[in-house]
Amino acid sequence: MGDNGLIPALAMNPAVILTVGAILGALIPNGFAAIRRPLMLVFVAMSAYQLSRLGLGEFGALSIFGEPVTMLRIDPLSRLFAVVFHIAAALNLLYAWHSKNRAQDFATLAYPAAALGGVLAGDLVTLFVWWEIAAITSVFLVWGPGTRATFLAGMRYLTIQILSGVLLLAGIVLVYRETGSLAFGEIGLRDAEGAIKLSGLVMLIAFGIKAAFPLLHNWVQDAYPKADFAGTIVLSVFTTKLAVASLARAFPGTGELVYIGAVMTIFPIFFALIENDLKKVLCYSINNQVGFMVIGIGFGTAASLNGAVGYAFTNIIFESLLFMAVGAAIFRTGTSKATELGGLYKTMPLTMIFCIIGAMSISAFPGFAGFVTKGLIIDAAGEAHAIWIWLVLLFASAGVLEHAGIKIPYFTFFAHDSGKRPKEAPPAMLMAMGTSAFLCIAIGVYPEPLYALMPYPEAVADYHPYAPYHVVEQLQLLLWAVLAFAVLILIKWYPAEVPSINLDADWLYRVPGRGLFTWAVAAVRAIWRLMWRLASTRFMRAMDRIYMMHGPEGAMARSWPTGFMALATAIILGLALIIAFMA
Amino acid sequence: MADHHHGDEKPGWADTKAFRNAFLGLLVIAALAAAAAGFLPQFQKAHPHFDVEGMGAFFAIYGFAAFAFIVLAGQHLRKLVGRKEDYYEERE
Repeated sequence: MGDNGLIPALAMNPAVILTVGAILGALIPNGFAAIRRPLMLVFVAMSAYQLSRLGLGEFGALSIFGEPVTMLRIDPLSRLFAVVFHIAAALNLLYAWHSKNRAQDFATLAYPAAALGGVLAGDLVTLFVWWEIAAITSVFLVWGPGTRATFLAGMRYLTIQILSGVLLLAGIVLVYRETGSLAFGEIGLRDAEGAIKLSGLVMLIAFGIKAAFPLLHNWVQDAYPKADFAGTIVLSVFTTKLAVASLARAFPGTGELVYIGAVMTIFPIFFALIENDLKKVLCYSINNQVGFMVIGIGFGTAASLNGAVGYAFTNIIFESLLFMAVGAAIFRTGTSKATELGGLYKTMPLTMIFCIIGAMSISAFPGFAGFVTKGLIIDAAGEAHAIWIWLVLLFASAGVLEHAGIKIPYFTFFAHDSGKRPKEAPPAMLMAMGTSAFLCIAIGVYPEPLYALMPYPEAVADYHPYAPYHVVEQLQLLLWAVLAFAVLILIKWYPAEVPSINLDADWLYRVPGRGLFTWAVAAVRAIWRLMWRLASTRFMRAMDRIYMMHGPEGAMARSWPTGFMALATAIILGLALIIAFMA
Repeated sequence: MADHHHGDEKPGWADTKAFRNAFLGLLVIAALAAAAAGFLPQFQKAHPHFDVEGMGAFFAIYGFAAFAFIVLAGQHLRKLVGRKEDYYEERE
């Protein structure tokens, strides 16, 4: 593709089409809010059409300062994410169909558009631009409810996202210095001698912040639940998956990722267990789920990369479905606390059924979407003979069942009766949840179209998720884990939910960090005041003295005209001398 | 389960003894069937990666133990990190 100019390159980009849709939608005044989301949905359809029309290839080649950049690269890896991002964007628009919040409606499309632009970026500069747009557009969702708590959380969120962007920019400079190219391809953490490259390390941290690596993860639990019932769903999909797509492209086979991913799958399980806010439970679930994907990327075989990105595809659908079901409960009852929910199955039966379908999918029950993709990652650990990682993955699978498979539906719809008798979710929400639930089952029973979308279809050609041994192994793991739950409930050893919050890594910057910062600000202010006082008293004294000499009553005032003439003449002479000297 | 706001309401289907017994009964039967199937050669992997995979009921034992461990050990984490709900409100 030649250099055809900026405007055609932008106009052909599906991400730009979505962005234009978001902007046009935002221009519609609130009096006509009813046509906003239908219009945006038309743009999603146009973008999807454009994606399929273009097919595989590189488009929108340009040069910036003489460097070639490729704004649009549709290859099997980016196509898979582009397809599922379109599905998620459409379902998110449908879910809160009657929203009248202009900023939030804008973000509901502009933020997915930016994430789409990022996965489709063929070069690092384009990636960086969309990376930052994703950060800025998504914060409107965090700010959605408009309270002081959401404002502060949004600022913390933005700080961390921009930090990731700044690191990405630094990484791009380092990569360019090293390779002389801005192309976005495999970067790797180590050089040929096995030493860690600075460029790779900086890029890995930039991606790792967005992927919510352990200790870099807590912006998810801090910011996402602050958005409203619909905003959290949108947030849950895109940022972490853009990071997964970027990791899959730049760091396939980076062994460190296996261990990072293993930690990611384990620690959120324990935090999710004791968390009372079901939105936060699902945020920990995001960490855990991305951990599976990161492990798949770390193994770096064709099959494990298929597993990682295929799992991302299915996860976007069932994790959103769980967020949507909890969102419907919040919409109807005003709370997402496990202690205040329960018994909703009586009046929200459809939402309950959809939630259970999402729960069985994320738990990877045979017949559901999680089963046909997660197995690829677990198998990769087997192929690598990494028994500890294999055991970690199985342990984490039991953990997923605990917090996402059981806790979410059980405490929302069953458990102790909260006495709340809300109406069933509105039709638009039910349609969005129903479509997601349908996809969970459709992919589960007929995974072949998804397999064909994977980056290495040949590596999945002889993979049979429904091999008898695989079904039996999985059913043993899950059914006996459910049995453990039943036993613990019956003997009353399952811990009761407690209205509380739990400290996590964000405590470090929200309490001691904030204290240190406040102290530093106070110290700087005190020093500044001291210096100002010293300087200003000196200054005032000097002014007084000048006034005494040169003021109307001063000694110099008496000969003012002569003195002034002498001074002026001296200055003019001096200037003339300098000019003459220079000329 | 007592329902204070809707005292005269009939218990919902999921709160009836019959449903609970049926659910638990089916769960136990399915779990036992899955464990038993693990010992049949046609349900075993032809080329296992690890020895434990050939143990028949390995996945059942591991699933039960992992779940029980997560719940029984995990709840103690609350003592370390649990705080009142307004913890951050006081500090921000």
